[in-house]
Amino acid sequence: MKRLIVVILVATFLGGLFLFGLLRGQPDRNIESNRLGREMPGFELPVHAPLLAEFGPTFEFNPEALDKPIIVNFWATWCAPCRDEAPVLEYAWQEYGDEVIVLGIQTQDRDNQRAGVAFMNEFGLTFPNVIDNSSRVSIDWGLFGVPETYFIRRDGTLAYKHVGIVTNELMDERIAELLQS
Amino acid sequence: MIHAASGTSRRLGQLRLALVLLPVLLITLAGSLSVAQEAVELEARVFELAGQLRCPVCTSESVAESSSPTSLEMREMIQEQIALGRSDAEVLAYFQDRYGDWILLEPPKRGLHLLVWILPAVVGAAALVTLFIYIRRWTKAGSQPVEVDPEDRDRVRRALGESQ
Repeated sequence: MKRLIVVILVATFLGGLFLFGLLRGQPDRNIESNRLGREMPGFELPVHAPLLAEFGPTFEFNPEALDKPIIVNFWATWCAPCRDEAPVLEYAWQEYGDEVIVLGIQTQDRDNQRAGVAFMNEFGLTFPNVIDNSSRVSIDWGLFGVPETYFIRRDGTLAYKHVGIVTNELMDERIAELLQS
Repeated sequence: MIHAASGTSRRLGQLRLALVLLPVLLITLAGSLSVAQEAVELEARVFELAGQLRCPVCTSESVAESSSPTSLEMREMIQEQIALGRSDAEVLAYFQDRYGDWILLEPPKRGLHLLVWILPAVVGAAALVTLFIYIRRWTKAGSQPVEVDPEDRDRVRRALGESQ
């Protein structure tokens, strides 16, 4: 009897492990950034054509010389959630543009500038948008996928990283936190 | 006679030229072989290091196996790091700084990750000890004489006697 109980317990444990493996689905991409609270790496990337007149040929992010907090959103033309959140980013720029910078970075989208410009035109994006053609900046920032949005304090350190679609409410809340810090 | 003399001097000239060119050719050949060997070694080291890194934008693939643009760029970055004279540990630390321990396919031997290394060994050792104990118990039980109740023995004998 005692032996039977042991066998049942072991079989249940192994069966549970097997089921867990089968049912766990896709791995969770909501991984905390290793750079949380640390200064983010600087970069200089070319600005997308429609915004050249307003923002110049390149956008330089220098964490040591920020005059405002900055929200950096990584996107790609093939990414469906990026389409859903594009109007939210434009909302944040229109609403808080005087107090924070909103920056879009097209990444994981090699040699696809033209489609990037079409994407911007489709959603009427007026905030600075650049292209990380080699994806090197996204690697430097520890990006796992698109869309990901980074909220950077005025001192260049990472306050919060959001994985997935951002909403107006989330933007309001996080921007308020950024402005208080 | 004149023809023969000019022919000999031409051959001598060709021989001299060959003697001068031969070392140059050999040095060039050795040089290109060494460059090719270095390129093969570099590629192997890049592949080996990339095999230890998890592709950040894929599912269950290493940077060496993946053909995503991010992995291609990471392999490029590994090559650059090696060219800068960085050690294997420094190259891995470079990516660990950006992605944390998540990026390493082999968990580091510290903190909570130690469990991954220790637990299989502990479970394996426990299984071996249990198996050893059971085998000893079985063999012991087999070698010991079986004690039979005299009443039972008589009953068996009676039954056998009756059947015969």
